[in-house]
Amino acid sequence: MTNAAIHTANPARRQWLSVLARASRPELEEALVRLGSLPALEHVRPSEPGMVMLRGRIGGTGDAFNLGEATVTRCALRVGSSALGVGYALGRDRRKAELIAIVDALLQDPERQAHLQREVVDPLASRQAALRDAASRLAASSKVEFFTFVRGDA
Amino acid sequence: MSHLSQVSAGFADPVHDAQTAFRAVLDALSRPGRQVAVGQPVKGLALGPAMAHLLLALTDDDTAVWWQHSDRAAADWLRFHTGASQAAAPEDAAFAVLAGTAGMPPLAAFAAGSVEAPERSATLLLEVASLDTGPAVEWRGPGILGMQTVRIAGLPDDFWAQWHASHASFPQGVDLVFTCSSVALGLPRTTRVRRLEEI
Repeated sequence: MTNAAIHTANPARRQWLSVLARASRPELEEALVRLGSLPALEHVRPSEPGMVMLRGRIGGTGDAFNLGEATVTRCALRVGSSALGVGYALGRDRRKAELIAIVDALLQDPERQAHLQREVVDPLASRQAALRDAASRLAASSKVEFFTFVRGDA
Repeated sequence: MSHLSQVSAGFADPVHDAQTAFRAVLDALSRPGRQVAVGQPVKGLALGPAMAHLLLALTDDDTAVWWQHSDRAAADWLRFHTGASQAAAPEDAAFAVLAGTAGMPPLAAFAAGSVEAPERSATLLLEVASLDTGPAVEWRGPGILGMQTVRIAGLPDDFWAQWHASHASFPQGVDLVFTCSSVALGLPRTTRVRRLEEI
């Protein structure tokens, strides 16, 4: 599946996968406990760490260059007879990728989606937004403006 | 995206299963005509266990695979697990998945490598009905002590004639691995074949 397919076919899924990938493992474990007992897991691709090449553009407009590699763990599984859930997360935490895949598989079930979105994804998203906001406020408070006096004869 | 919901599992234990399958195909090709057991069945997959495990162990994103029967589910399964792309034509393929029936393309249709690089040839994986009940043929060559009698069922009538033609261009030529359920049997390009009826 290409990135374009995710963008166009299911923007909501893209959003929840991004929120889940940024969540911490204890947060995900706690969400799973609240879901209660689940059907047996069927691992299609057991959790495996690997590398992805990060690419960047200077100023967002220059030529693409390889910035460096990041460790990423991925997992694909089904919960009972659910749709295929996938989990991708930075780092080497196999359990976290598995938890993301479980929640993704359940979120694709129309009957559970609204409940999970409200109980799991939205609180995580607002917590992450608050953290990001606090961090940027902290950075903004230490912002220094540099300017140069123009000499009279210039 | 819907086709991905059907995708089956790969190796249960990726490292050790891949090593076991690779060792099995190495044994099969270095001892032509000897049957080697490979792999457990993969749930929900139309391919035989030996075929599935060989594909998982041998292919990656550099090896295009040609499917005789355009089986979307199996091709998607392989692409999901190993990244192997689908070859459009037999001559582009590094590996080919065939059912040893009359409809299969001639061996000459597959890449035989060049004189400078004979290793850039195709390896054909043929699922056959049986490895024990077909017409008897004699195999000789490296890896065989004296002579090995092989009885592969369900091959096209002119298959061994094609094999002779392919063998004539040695060291170019294709390598074959026959699979039947969970058993594999190798036929590398070094093996000379004689039909017993012709004696």
